[in-house]
Amino acid sequence: MADRLQKKVGIVTCSGEELAEGTVSRLAALKVLEKLRPDDTVTICLPLFLAGGEGDRAFAKFYPTITIDGCDKRCAYRGTQKYSNTPAASIVITDLAAEQALGEIEGKSDLNAAGLTAVDLAAEQAAGQVDELLGKHWSRREGAFTQTNPKDEDSHEVTATCSCGSGIPVQLFEIDGRKFEIVALPLLFKTFSGQRKAPSDDTLKEIIAEVRIYNVIEPENETALIDKIDQAYQDYWKDNESKHEQN
Amino acid sequence: MTEYLETQVDKFTFKVEKDRFYTTFGVWALLYGGTARIGLSDYLQQTSGDIAFADIQPAGTVLGTGEACASIETIKVDLEILSPLAGKILRVNPSLEMTPEVINEDPYGQGWLCEIEPSDWENDLANLLAPEAYFEIMKNQAEEELKKK
Amino acid sequence: MSKEKKVIIIPCSGVGKSFGTVSRMAAYQVTEDDRPATTQLVPLALLVLGDEEARETVENNPVVVIDGCQLACAKKMVLESGGTVSKEMAVLDFYRQNRELKPQGISQLNEGGKKLASVIAAAVDLVVDELTEEGGKNG
Repeated sequence: MADRLQKKVGIVTCSGEELAEGTVSRLAALKVLEKLRPDDTVTICLPLFLAGGEGDRAFAKFYPTITIDGCDKRCAYRGTQKYSNTPAASIVITDLAAEQALGEIEGKSDLNAAGLTAVDLAAEQAAGQVDELLGKHWSRREGAFTQTNPKDEDSHEVTATCSCGSGIPVQLFEIDGRKFEIVALPLLFKTFSGQRKAPSDDTLKEIIAEVRIYNVIEPENETALIDKIDQAYQDYWKDNESKHEQN
Repeated sequence: MTEYLETQVDKFTFKVEKDRFYTTFGVWALLYGGTARIGLSDYLQQTSGDIAFADIQPAGTVLGTGEACASIETIKVDLEILSPLAGKILRVNPSLEMTPEVINEDPYGQGWLCEIEPSDWENDLANLLAPEAYFEIMKNQAEEELKKK
Repeated sequence: MSKEKKVIIIPCSGVGKSFGTVSRMAAYQVTEDDRPATTQLVPLALLVLGDEEARETVENNPVVVIDGCQLACAKKMVLESGGTVSKEMAVLDFYRQNRELKPQGISQLNEGGKKLASVIAAAVDLVVDELTEEGGKNG
């Protein structure tokens, strides 16, 4: 089930301004996003990720994520892990520079030769990790790889975009005057509907199991939320009935 | 302000005011008295991004239906806004010169673009969408955008 | 302002739009070229993730934020971290006043973007001078 939702890899960069390595991390991430793997990657501004709402922070729950950090403070890695999910892979520019004996990286606004080399190396490494991740099955629940699945060949050609425009759908419910935001629900409905899983108790159980990967459902709201989700999927199925009949 | 239709796509909520008519592009027209006010739908302003500049044709300009009445530059795109009706521009929203972001903040209220004296409202109205019809089209547009991501 | 105090400059450095790069470039111009003695850059992420030194620095010094878009992440996060924003700069506001300087490119900023960053930096320099003068008067 999760395979069909997992078509892209998220790239999060620290973009730290204090060190030239922060500039390297930013440019490496942008190179992957814009040039090396534009169809396979998406990003989110780290500030928005940290300051944003549940929809923004669901980013790494939804996409397997590679963090690119300038130094061992690892702000992108820690932030992603703290607010969303453990990153699937991580690159630290100071480590990379030491391993490759690049020499001193300088020039926060205008990188020196060592910095530019680091950008290329980090971008290539991240691109390779993207390829690996899209060929593997990343378990969001466990924050680890579980098994190898074939790469999904049926990928749409799209340009990498910043996630403040977001590819992560959410659905809102109101219960007793309180609003509840269920991340990824519209896409789950689409997936289940596409697999022609008509509304039923079994289907509902499967949907709720998937919902729990992206969302925390508190016990006191559980029954009411499940009822809402049940009704919402029945409505969705009905609205898309004509598509089922055609197929 | 009257009621609105509302939908959620991705993490965004889009509203359609029920008291006016729309083009498929997302320009609305609201007739009151003998004057029509026009503006951008909530969906159009949200998907276009933060507005940097809104240049509206000046008062006195005579337009045909579908002729450019405004250019809007956002941080993402440049939009050419085509008038949903024929007529003469009577008044341009004075707020737009200094605070064009009002279009983002209040697209159906303070963020109106201009007021037009229609020359053939009945004919133009026949080519506009009722709010319910625009709502369906807008939902499809939003879902198509989501598929691209 | 005592000798140890500096004006803290915090750009949003967003990666989604060229405006984020403009905010970063403006911050570098101020802290590296124009006012290196009286300013200091603090990375936003460090602040939010609870770095003690970053938090103390922000709490004990005046802060100028440079935000790329209306989401205003830098301002929001400084406030949430217990800091006070002495001055808020929005790249979009400066672009509105300098229409000919349209920024383009995120990893590689165009000439218009670089000039816009300079305009913002010049404005921040003035704010820094005011804040350091006020601090000097207050001791």
